[in-house]
Amino acid sequence: MNKVQIDEILNKVNGIKITHKRKTRIRVDVDADSLPTLLELIKGRASYIHLSAITCVDWIADNQFELVYHVWSYEEKCLISAHTRIDRGSEKNPAKYISVYDLFKPADFFERDIFEMYGVTFIGSPRMEKFILTEWNGVPPMLKDFDAEAYVQETFKWTDYNPDWLQELTDQGGGIAVKPEDIRTAGNTHNMSTHRERDKAKAAAVKANDKMQGWKQ
Amino acid sequence: MRPENYQAVKLGDSNEYEIFIGPNHPGIEGNYAFRLMLDGDIVVSGKADAGYLHRGFEKLMEGRLWIQNLAIVPRICVPDPAPMEVAYSMAVEEIMGIEAPIRAQWIRTMQLELSRVAAHLFTFGGHAATTGMYTPMFWGVADRDLVLDLFEDFTGGRVYSIYNIPGGVRRELPPEFLQKLSNLLDYLESRQNDYDNLLFTNQVFVERAKGCGALTQSQALELSVTGPNLRACGLAYDVRRDDPYLVYDELEFDIPRQKHGDAYSRILVRRDELFQSIRILRQIIERLPSIKGKIRTPIPNPLSWNVRKGEAYARVESSKGELAYYVVSDGGDKPYRVHVRGPSSMHAVQTLEFLAKGARLEDVAQIMFSLDACPPEVDR
Repeated sequence: MNKVQIDEILNKVNGIKITHKRKTRIRVDVDADSLPTLLELIKGRASYIHLSAITCVDWIADNQFELVYHVWSYEEKCLISAHTRIDRGSEKNPAKYISVYDLFKPADFFERDIFEMYGVTFIGSPRMEKFILTEWNGVPPMLKDFDAEAYVQETFKWTDYNPDWLQELTDQGGGIAVKPEDIRTAGNTHNMSTHRERDKAKAAAVKANDKMQGWKQ
Repeated sequence: MRPENYQAVKLGDSNEYEIFIGPNHPGIEGNYAFRLMLDGDIVVSGKADAGYLHRGFEKLMEGRLWIQNLAIVPRICVPDPAPMEVAYSMAVEEIMGIEAPIRAQWIRTMQLELSRVAAHLFTFGGHAATTGMYTPMFWGVADRDLVLDLFEDFTGGRVYSIYNIPGGVRRELPPEFLQKLSNLLDYLESRQNDYDNLLFTNQVFVERAKGCGALTQSQALELSVTGPNLRACGLAYDVRRDDPYLVYDELEFDIPRQKHGDAYSRILVRRDELFQSIRILRQIIERLPSIKGKIRTPIPNPLSWNVRKGEAYARVESSKGELAYYVVSDGGDKPYRVHVRGPSSMHAVQTLEFLAKGARLEDVAQIMFSLDACPPEVDR
């Protein structure tokens, strides 16, 4: 099947945008309403039978979820990535979409994963339940507005950890060199000069170590 | 689920009972649980229970620099970490529109194949152990250790090498390395007869493995099974050949396959692949010295590196099957989204639940290991 033939099949779907990225990759953008039609069409008419993955991307600025269905054809040796956008919903009214389990059985795994990590409910998916995070009752953790670090700071008192051996090191002038909170407040500015100084010191240490190679051998 | 939260189910007047096996289980290379409903010793149904190795890698990666993530990705699969680094680097390269120099691509291919050899040695040992044969396990792990020695030699790390970087590889090969590799391949080839006598033609093992956990080709395709497990059902599909990456289109290799799709076919495919990998490595030893040039395309200062806006789906063939990274960049210094599509996420959940149905309890461990699943790929 050449480029023209596959385009002809894809163009049967309304409002589709096709991008041939390279020989084995086609990107298509469709409306959320037409996506199941598209998948059914390429599965039935163009032998795209292998669902490689379903990915969810949280575009919080647009208040949308992007769902990407990667489908591979063993015969055409080509991968179609079908992109669609759905409404992000809210805490009270979570996002919903249609399951493609009737077309691709592995959708069971991916849809359950997205349900768990992003809170998107797939209507018609056989197992909309917890799988990996069975003991988690908070918001879906992969959402961009869930701050994992803030959660850790609030929940775990890890900064209180100060065993004897660490205390001893600190007394001798060692211990934690840069406190994590200092790194965060400093932002992304990396002081290159200290890196270089550290490298120099390391090189000197290696040199000194080389002199002691005699007894090692 | 934490064991302390597990509650026994009372089933009333029934012969059926539930067994919770795992999370430390002989049938899998990590922590993974499997809840079985049994009638006598026949499995009525099984339910996979993942989450013991969930470290939130995908979330972690969104909070770290592009370059820092290289230290995270190999940890997603312990027995076969190299394809993770390569797939991630390839995805970033595709977004950036850069390409690794040709010499780096050959070195990457070598690393991938060495990793495949190590992973298959590990699996064949582990699979034998699930049938009660422990000698192959010791042999497999001991021979894998020799491969790890080579990894230490050229990357500095035995298991997690963190050797790749978007744009190429980090270090040039040490002197005499190819000679050492060649010696190791000679040794592994000399072991072929021993492996065959000990395991692959050993009636004790063959009788146990034949017909165990059989999958037809159409069932495998329906369940998105890939890699050696699919080739054991008769379909010669390999990402290395069908969606070529790196320099695989310049290399000669066969794609081994079997007909029956059972545990025995699966281990035979892995055995043949081991020796195909050796064949590929021999070609690399021959060609690599004549390929001169740089090993890295320069990238901007990685500590303040903004990868341009875009997305890429990079696929490689790991020892378990089709491994893919979907990486999205919004133009920032950190990835906007990284999705890891591990082959085991297909094998260890739906396929395993499907195959366990109707199997005998003592075969469950063997079915699990014959699928060669890697639990962190499910949990991520």
